Amino acid sequence: MECNEVMHALILFIDNEIEDAIQVQTFQSHFEECPQCLTEMEHERQVLTRMKSLLSDACCEEAPEDLQSRIAQQTALLASQMFSPTQVITEYRRTETTINGETHIEIETTHEIRRDFPLS
Amino acid sequence: MNSEIEIRTPAQLLATESVLERTARFERDAMQYTNQLYAAAMRYTKDPHDAQDLVQDTYAKAFTSFHQFEPGTNLKAWLYRILTTTFINTYRKDQRRPLISDGEVEDWQLAASASHTSDQGKSAEDEVLENLPDGDVKRALHEIPEEFRLAVFYADVEGYSYKEIADILGIPAGTVMSRLHRGRKLLRVLLLDYAKNRGFGGSDGM
Repeated sequence: MECNEVMHALILFIDNEIEDAIQVQTFQSHFEECPQCLTEMEHERQVLTRMKSLLSDACCEEAPEDLQSRIAQQTALLASQMFSPTQVITEYRRTETTINGETHIEIETTHEIRRDFPLS
Repeated sequence: MNSEIEIRTPAQLLATESVLERTARFERDAMQYTNQLYAAAMRYTKDPHDAQDLVQDTYAKAFTSFHQFEPGTNLKAWLYRILTTTFINTYRKDQRRPLISDGEVEDWQLAASASHTSDQGKSAEDEVLENLPDGDVKRALHEIPEEFRLAVFYADVEGYSYKEIADILGIPAGTVMSRLHRGRKLLRVLLLDYAKNRGFGGSDGM
């Protein structure tokens, strides 16, 4: 393996993203023989470790306490909607028309089926 | 007579799970990640209020589709995936900002490689970064483009592999790799710059 090939794929080696064990071995053999590449690899690894530690220390905000309880309430509400029974609302409409002493009675019935669906 | 034994997959078992059982399982398994989801949401929205809303919406979506989560797989990564789609669908809809052009990135990268050419600088780089305050790190992270920031967050804070990040962000692993590497470079330039401004660089001319 040549130095430029090693340098080109260095970050994959450091990130443990090289799956082929033989290829990993090739990198390691190169580092044993080439002090410049070894130094470069160790430097890059050290800086990356430092960056990871800086980032982990900076990105650990805790959620505000009331967020947890709001989510719990929301979950309970969604669960109750999943439970909610079907409601049938029936409406009757009676229309009475009298023309020249003749009376027509019309009765209309509508059924409305109501059901809460969980938010998608 | 058919005497076959019925073998039920976890998915079939879940289909018979009652709402109460599902709620209990959700509270037990998913609610423990509120803090991590909030920290991630801060990387997406950069704003505490928006981050809270994003986390709450994420939990609503997660609960209503919790029957689709395959037990035994990574629940936190599944939640991060929902966080990503929720963010894209609701919070980013109206904020179409121009993506950083490739040319711009190349310029940054050149600056990045130029900044660690000297061996003297090299040996000092780690020490220079060591004492940077959290505020500077957050600021630098928020200054780099969103695509890069998220790749860096999932790789370097959460420790996910390229493949896992690809699943969370819904992009190919090759794209994760290029965003991650560029993001790290940009971040490194910014952090070294902040350190220099704080006088951490010492006398070696960094």
